[in-house]
Amino acid sequence: MAEIGGGIGWVVAVNLVIWTGLFLYLLRLHRQVRAGERRSGGPEGSDR
Amino acid sequence: MTTPTIPPPSSHPGLSPAAAVGAASLWLWMAAVIWAAFLWAPPASGFKNVYSSRILFFHVPMAWVSLVAFLAAGAWSVAYLTRGRRRRHDRAAAVAVELGLVFCLLATLSGSIWSRLEWGAFWNWDPRQTSIVLALVFYAAYLALRSAVEDEPTRSRLAAAYAVLGLVVAPFLFFVLPRLTFSLHPQPVVNAEGEIGMDPRILVVLLAGSAGFTALFFWIHSLACRVRRLTGGNAD
Repeated sequence: MAEIGGGIGWVVAVNLVIWTGLFLYLLRLHRQVRAGERRSGGPEGSDR
Repeated sequence: MTTPTIPPPSSHPGLSPAAAVGAASLWLWMAAVIWAAFLWAPPASGFKNVYSSRILFFHVPMAWVSLVAFLAAGAWSVAYLTRGRRRRHDRAAAVAVELGLVFCLLATLSGSIWSRLEWGAFWNWDPRQTSIVLALVFYAAYLALRSAVEDEPTRSRLAAAYAVLGLVVAPFLFFVLPRLTFSLHPQPVVNAEGEIGMDPRILVVLLAGSAGFTALFFWIHSLACRVRRLTGGNAD
């Protein structure tokens, strides 16, 4: 197994924080889009 | 006697069970890829700076996803032209190109950082670097084309034709042009002899990262299309 702790561990932690933040943002956006679709009458509607 | 009323939908509905499982799975998958890229996969051999090779676990998947995005744009454009000129196909194609450009730019930037560490310069017009710039220019022109045409049906039709042309151009730029001449760029996953010449752990992390980034692309793409539809449109 490659080196653990020190600089590499810090890089992993930073990456995980960035990824989790991006993920939570997308999740929040997903919920807002779903709420908007419900208010507008459904995801399909007229889309010609 | 009062009639029971149905309460209005919550302004922030929760996720459906399928979406919740999918989202949790994607988070776990990518977290595992990040962990494995730095702590499980060995440093790649044959590199001047062995630790810089770990950037490839992000660079390669992003380049892969940009190609997927460009091909998907072509497929949606074919659907637009052949299945009734539906606005949602045109919208899907445009969003795919935009996201493809984002991933392509990230692949270019990560590649140039690695190039600085490995070759001593951010940019040296290596064939692989040149071909990705050509891809960026080609698809930036797609967006310029959309911006230049005001009439929506005309814009959609011209953009669709352009993206269909991209079904030939993108594979040529990603797979053919870089192989036509000598390149400093590391060999691709399947080398010129038709073999996979890399450590199995590195291959596993590369493939897992590519799958995760691909899922991420389609999720972002879905959200972007739905936002664009909700905000009225297709105007660029």
